Amino acid sequence: MLTVSVKWQKKVFEGIEIDPTLPPYVFKAQLYDLTGVPPERQKIMVKGGLLKDDADWSAIGVKDGQKLMMMGTADEIVKAPEKAIVFAEDLPEEEQATHLGYSAGLVNLGNTCYMNSTVQCLKSVPELKSALSNYALTGRSNDVDQTSHMLTVATRELFGDLDRSVNAVSPTQFWMTLRKKFPQFSQLQNGMHMQQDAEECWTQLLYTLSQSLKAPTSSEDSDAVKALFGVNLRSRVHCQESGEESSETESVYSLKCHISHEVNHLHEGLKHGLKGELEKTSPALGRTALYLKESLIDSLPRYLTVQFVRFFWKRETNQKAKILRKVDYPLELDIFDLCSEELRKKLEAPRQKLRDEEGKKLGLQPKSSSKDSDVKMTDAEASSKESGESSTVTQQEGGSSEKGTLHMTGIYDLVSVLTHKGRSADSGHYVAWVKQESGKWIQYDDSHPSLQREEDITKLSGGGDWHMAYIIMYKARFVSM
Amino acid sequence: MAPGPDPNSVGDGAKRDEATIKVPSKDPKKKDDKKEEDLSEEDLQLKQNLELYVERVQDPNPELQKAALESMRQEIRASTSSMTSVPKPLKFLRPHYGTLKEFHKNMAESDLKKLLADILSVLALTMSAEGQRESLGYRLTGSEGDIGSWGHEYVRNLAGEIAEEYTVRQGEEASIEDLMDLVQQIVAFHMKHNAETEAVDLLMDVEDLDLLLEHVDRTNFRRTCNYLTSAAKYLPGPDDMLVLDIAYMIYIKFEEYPNALQIALFLDNMQYVKQVFTSCTDLLRKKQFCYMISRHGITFELDPEMVENDVDREMLQDIVNNTKLSEGYLTLARDIEVMEAKTPEDIYKAHLLDGRASSGPSADSARQNLAATFVNAFVNAGFGQDKLMTVPSDSTSGSAGNWLFKNKEHGKTSAAASLGMILLWDVDAGLTHLDKYFHSNDNPIIAGALLGVGIVNCGIKNDCDPALALLGEYIDKEDSSVRIGAIMGLGIAYAGSQNDQIRSSLSPILNDAKAPLDVIAFAALSLGMIYVGSCNEEVAQSIIFALMDRSEAELGEALTRFLPLGLGLLYLGKQQESVEATAEVSKTFNEKIRKYCDMTLLSCAYAGTGNVLKVQDLLAQCGEHLEKGDIHQGPAVLGLAMVAMSEELGLDMAIRSLERVLQYGEQNVRRAVPLALGLLCISNPKVTVMDTLSRLSHDTDSEVAMSAIVSLGLIGAGTNNARIAGMLRNLSSYYYKDASLLFCVRIAQGLVHMGKGLLTLSPFHSERLLLSPTALAGIVTLLHACLDMKSIILGKYHYVLYFLVLAMQPRMMLTVDENLKPISVPVRVGQAVDVVGQAGRPKTITGFQTHSTPVLLAAGERAELATDKYIPLSPILEGFIILKENPDYREE
Repeated sequence: MLTVSVKWQKKVFEGIEIDPTLPPYVFKAQLYDLTGVPPERQKIMVKGGLLKDDADWSAIGVKDGQKLMMMGTADEIVKAPEKAIVFAEDLPEEEQATHLGYSAGLVNLGNTCYMNSTVQCLKSVPELKSALSNYALTGRSNDVDQTSHMLTVATRELFGDLDRSVNAVSPTQFWMTLRKKFPQFSQLQNGMHMQQDAEECWTQLLYTLSQSLKAPTSSEDSDAVKALFGVNLRSRVHCQESGEESSETESVYSLKCHISHEVNHLHEGLKHGLKGELEKTSPALGRTALYLKESLIDSLPRYLTVQFVRFFWKRETNQKAKILRKVDYPLELDIFDLCSEELRKKLEAPRQKLRDEEGKKLGLQPKSSSKDSDVKMTDAEASSKESGESSTVTQQEGGSSEKGTLHMTGIYDLVSVLTHKGRSADSGHYVAWVKQESGKWIQYDDSHPSLQREEDITKLSGGGDWHMAYIIMYKARFVSM
Repeated sequence: MAPGPDPNSVGDGAKRDEATIKVPSKDPKKKDDKKEEDLSEEDLQLKQNLELYVERVQDPNPELQKAALESMRQEIRASTSSMTSVPKPLKFLRPHYGTLKEFHKNMAESDLKKLLADILSVLALTMSAEGQRESLGYRLTGSEGDIGSWGHEYVRNLAGEIAEEYTVRQGEEASIEDLMDLVQQIVAFHMKHNAETEAVDLLMDVEDLDLLLEHVDRTNFRRTCNYLTSAAKYLPGPDDMLVLDIAYMIYIKFEEYPNALQIALFLDNMQYVKQVFTSCTDLLRKKQFCYMISRHGITFELDPEMVENDVDREMLQDIVNNTKLSEGYLTLARDIEVMEAKTPEDIYKAHLLDGRASSGPSADSARQNLAATFVNAFVNAGFGQDKLMTVPSDSTSGSAGNWLFKNKEHGKTSAAASLGMILLWDVDAGLTHLDKYFHSNDNPIIAGALLGVGIVNCGIKNDCDPALALLGEYIDKEDSSVRIGAIMGLGIAYAGSQNDQIRSSLSPILNDAKAPLDVIAFAALSLGMIYVGSCNEEVAQSIIFALMDRSEAELGEALTRFLPLGLGLLYLGKQQESVEATAEVSKTFNEKIRKYCDMTLLSCAYAGTGNVLKVQDLLAQCGEHLEKGDIHQGPAVLGLAMVAMSEELGLDMAIRSLERVLQYGEQNVRRAVPLALGLLCISNPKVTVMDTLSRLSHDTDSEVAMSAIVSLGLIGAGTNNARIAGMLRNLSSYYYKDASLLFCVRIAQGLVHMGKGLLTLSPFHSERLLLSPTALAGIVTLLHACLDMKSIILGKYHYVLYFLVLAMQPRMMLTVDENLKPISVPVRVGQAVDVVGQAGRPKTITGFQTHSTPVLLAAGERAELATDKYIPLSPILEGFIILKENPDYREE
């Protein structure tokens, strides 16, 4: 009889007797009683080896009083989960893209950053995307010329590619059709394509799309692009000399922010831009006279585009010079005081509603504090969350949203910024800064998208050699009534 | 000088004329007049007296001569005591030096001649021309009287001349006996007068340090040995060994056993270690020795000769075997209150990166989960609990299983093995946790469990050899991942043990024609670890054959580099003689691997020696501009760091040289530079190196960036350094799109917070004197793997990161009482000050703070007890320290 001690986990079992005539399995059975570990799960270590069930005790050479060590648990054996885990690396490329939370960049094909940044900014408008996908269904209408059609299709394809891809997309096809439609973009300089003005690209592209996306019925209302971006202005033209006064309306796709010495803020620039002087023949005076033109906004777009008029033709140097002046712009823009009287009246009620909601959010109780207002608030929140989706559905309704439950408030949120860096319009670098649905800002520097902080976006206001805003786009804030 | 009106003047004018000729001044008269005006009455008197003596010395009358010499001696001795300026008597005697010399030459042999020689010897101190060694010459012909009576400066000068003379005589093979007598005298004088450093210098110059043993005494042996050990770092081999030998003997002589043991370990002389044990009779002190040996990480078997009592021996062996390490570490953790397990998210601190980090993707990324596995393992290393792997699997949704399966294929190996890291050093609990994975039917998981067993047992020895028992069966399994798991586990668990049983089972794999390359590579590496620094020829042979058998294509594989590395580890720190034969053989290898092998052998053999010549050799290699894709420059750069890392000056120099290499080197050299910097400053975040690495982490070459990022982790390993943590956080947002770089950033983050800041990776310990060979082996292996990051760490062999476990040690000082129970005492912790060669009892730390033990020690810090109540049994306050109550202590 041998007596050994066995160490198992932190416990030591002293004085276990071994009968050398019986196989080790018997010993293991003894240990089973003590530890509850089934013999087949027991691993007993003796001097650098494991004790086999059929081993001979004498061959192992266990001495009296020796310490043995046992390993083993009665634990459940680990099993692989029934549902295999899917790893991001195994996903197809498209799905990886969605995990990233934003779309890919665009390859610079040689001074095409003006185009890339324009495309990225416009792509951030979901309504435009869905309008384009509808275009495929409606097909080409007769009054759209071939090149416009091709450009529209190319835009649609490019938007699609961007959504599917993880890596930067090369917009070759789009660029070709763009140049075909607008030969001015094919200008060469030293054998290279020249840098172009992004604003021109923006305007031309939007114009083309507005032409081709017009519903076949060709009524004014069905112009999708116009519904999204169009601003109706009512102007009062007044001649001081003769006292003549006339009024006219026009529709534009963007407001201009004129930059003069007094302008420090976007709001001042816009006001400035809505006032103008022009010379025209006065029927009363029978000669050309100076007219003052004052415009007011008559209808609001879903997306308000503002162009900073940073470039002007400098005659003495014969080039487009840039105004570096710092013009601040807010993340939240209120253009109430630029609106016409009628529009203001319409906006009044929704704005009051919005104020109440915000007050509530800040913990201020509106005067009529009652339970149902709480309910309303939650409703409002829910609907405002949906607004992104619902607005795509109701996009045909356009700016005149009185029909729906959503109402314009005259308050806009910044969604994208197209910046220019450099000293003249035909040189330098264009970059797009786009707010994602997740609320994050992405800088699209050609093929390199990168995350940015919101406070850095407002720093693009100029005044130095850093990127400065050239075209900015605001999205309307709605309130449900 | 000028003959002033001297009433006592005797002797003829001719001599006097001769004396005046010696005056270099052109217009002696005028100048002297002026000078005499300046002299005070007293000085004038002295001068006149001396001149009188000079003249009398030349008197034929021996009585008069003798009286004059005696008086002259008196004057000189009276004034040589202070040496701030040339003493007056010497100054006044200057002009007569020639006269006296001349006279001495013509004198007949006599006591008087010797007396004069003595005086001339002293005068030569200021007069003798460079290289003439006149002082020594006259001394040797002099009366051999007490050397110290002439003052310090004289002795010092004499010592210098002896050194010169010695070299000359060595060249001529002339006798040096007379010199040695003088040396005896000088050494005795220096040792008595607190000039140990000068005595040692002299003895080193005349290559007879043994003399020192006779002259050291209780008051000066400590300073002497201090000087010897720090001088050894700058001596070429084998002189350094001799010097340390002497230091060892002195320590033994004065029963300063802990220091003696330290040197014995440095010399890697087990005979000496044994002697320490046999010479010391106090059991408690022996326990302290055992703690020191266990920290060094070598395998050491106590025999009855060292400790007679069986029970005592077993207890001491337990300490050597590190079985109490886990307990001590947890005591520290509890005291510092960091037991709470941390998740990788706690380390990433993504919330500090305002909005930049992408919101958690809905699908798991295998790469990122793998990184999290490593971070979790490193951060919770040794704590026995974490929030991913050890969480009790309560129900069917056992989260432990869950996390394991959130890793993909080979990732599961690392995940299972991470359990070993979390339960590091706690063998019993570790095996319990790992047991269930042995029964899995998924090969990567089994491989991970095997590796985990190896990791748990790292540095811990056990009589039952659980690692060998469990892993032994798996090394010949079919699946190569399982084999690698078992082989690597053995390598880690038995590093430095020179276990024959393992060798006999691993060696055949090396020469097995059917074995896949990766298995062979890991087998070579494990053998290298197990036989680290042993120069074992049989292992070397097996690896050499394995290298020769490799086909051209296999030699191009990334993993092949582990074969030369395994070979190199065998000679770690053993210098030229031992590695010569193997280096010769390596010249016959295929040219693809030859140079790589050469560099690896060279750098390993001289690792930690600080050999300047080898540093230059390696620098020359780095400077070459190669056309082809040669890979040997990587190990050359790493070698630079390995050789130079041993002492501070060489280290700083190496850092500066690496800056140059970075500037002018080729791309493949630049890639290795961050790693070399990482090795030089491992767990020691120097700000300059940090800045360099931070700059490189944004390098356009992604491989440079990757190694810089990993190195940032290495230099900050276990420090929780806030600055590095911030840098890495920013890097994580900078590289959030690049999965490979992000992986490196995560690993580095894990390293910085390794063991929640309680661990260090530094292979140096005991006040930076000792270099743990296994620790260095672990780090070097990882760095070699990092030379080809893409195929190894970013490929499927990421578990090589676990080799770092070999270097992981708590950076603590834990005081225990005589029963080895932790006790808390106040200690001062501050920046260590180099006190070698300083007079008196200088402060050894500066800018200290008082804590109570256990405390953490950062790189370059030293602790000292702030109470007299206890006496530490080792003067080096690191790791486990046994305290004995001070019998003389009185409560105030």
